Amino acid sequence: MNQTFLEMTVAGFLILSIFSFLYKDNPFYRLAEHIFAGLTAGYYVGLIWQTVIVQQLYVPMTQEGKWEMVFPGIMGILMFTRFFDRLSHISRISLAFVMGNTAGIFLVQQLHGLILPQTQATIINPLSGNWLFGIIPGGLVIIVGVITTLVYFYFSKEQKGLFGKTARVGIVFIMISFGAHFGYTVMARLSLLIGQVKFVTVDWLGLFNLN
Amino acid sequence: MVLLATIIPFIAGFPQPIHISKESRDLYDWVENIPDGSTILLTFDYYPSTIAEVEPMSRAAIKQCWRKNLKLITLSTVPLGGPNIAERVLNDMATGWAVEEFGEEKKYGIDFINLGYKPDYKAVILGMGDSFRRIYPTDFAGVSLDSFPIMRDIDRYEDVEFLFIISDNGIVDEWITIANRQFGIPIGSGVTAVMAPKFYSYLQSRQMVGLLGGMKGASEYENLVGAEGMATLFMGPQSTVHLIIILFILVGNAAYFIGGRKP
Repeated sequence: MNQTFLEMTVAGFLILSIFSFLYKDNPFYRLAEHIFAGLTAGYYVGLIWQTVIVQQLYVPMTQEGKWEMVFPGIMGILMFTRFFDRLSHISRISLAFVMGNTAGIFLVQQLHGLILPQTQATIINPLSGNWLFGIIPGGLVIIVGVITTLVYFYFSKEQKGLFGKTARVGIVFIMISFGAHFGYTVMARLSLLIGQVKFVTVDWLGLFNLN
Repeated sequence: MVLLATIIPFIAGFPQPIHISKESRDLYDWVENIPDGSTILLTFDYYPSTIAEVEPMSRAAIKQCWRKNLKLITLSTVPLGGPNIAERVLNDMATGWAVEEFGEEKKYGIDFINLGYKPDYKAVILGMGDSFRRIYPTDFAGVSLDSFPIMRDIDRYEDVEFLFIISDNGIVDEWITIANRQFGIPIGSGVTAVMAPKFYSYLQSRQMVGLLGGMKGASEYENLVGAEGMATLFMGPQSTVHLIIILFILVGNAAYFIGGRKP
């Protein structure tokens, strides 16, 4: 038994253990679940230690003389004061820095990267292009879809009469969108199944060869 | 039944006609138009659970890029899977496929490099606009970037021609809204099917040049590259199970209506 086959056997066993939950909760499933959670946590700690603490803090300070890195280092250590009731308030300094930083980045990112370009893409000339392939599918559908969907989500006015009919058109657009999402989701989940079935039957057990 | 519908096409073979969508072709054409010998960023932003869907995209992307002698800088914004998958796929293709195709291996540090993972993706994506080295002082193995020829004269987005994102999570939004909008780098992406509908809006707003959606997108891209692989093969089981699901929906609805609409 070579090492690769041993590794694949362990992986195959864990895959089947996870799938066993389809029958009911059982010790094999829980074993696989705990191994997964434990390995993930352990690997993540090791990865962060190496890629952040060592590569971006310890090495720059000790080998490149970048002693200013001591400040972010201290900020990081302050986070751990949350474990001590009497000192936990100190961690707010680091948290405030992170939150302020994130809010600043997020504001620009959402406005400049999402709201403006997406709004700009909706503001189109409805009469541009030819009728068959440009205006009807490209322009009017977007305009009608955006307006009626927004009307559906306007809850400050009772949805009846013309307003209600417009909202119902919005529901059609929403349902089409949900349908597209659902179809793609089915495809994605099947892809996961196909990948695991291929691993178990072809790579691990070698029941048949792929042509 | 679904399990059988997955396995039988594997054994019997159930080839599907692949129709190329506009968004896949646009992505392929964009990469084809990048000047030969340029450098691009290729991300491995996915976890091991989705490799059936997105690894074929990575492999096809590498084939197209290396045929054009593009240099690849790979990185990952996910901790688990991504960096190691990049290492495995790149080494496998550099020593296997590249030898068959070009008669020689692609060399680490010259033709490609794996920067690995750094936490806090927002800071990573934003910081790389200022300096790659500030975020990634070393490659995944911990060797200084300055020691690799591929990184000579490369230190920010404007030094690379294209950002090819292969992802199974919402990180694509961050790449687009930060790297594309704030630093102007053109972006194309390959994503899992569950994510794909959301990203069509970025095609509409031209924040993204092309999109590969799920296994279908991967199989289209494989065909465009002329390297039919796992995604093309997997479309057999995929289509068979879809047919079964449609059948179940029809039978279920028929039973519902024939039975007097009783739940």
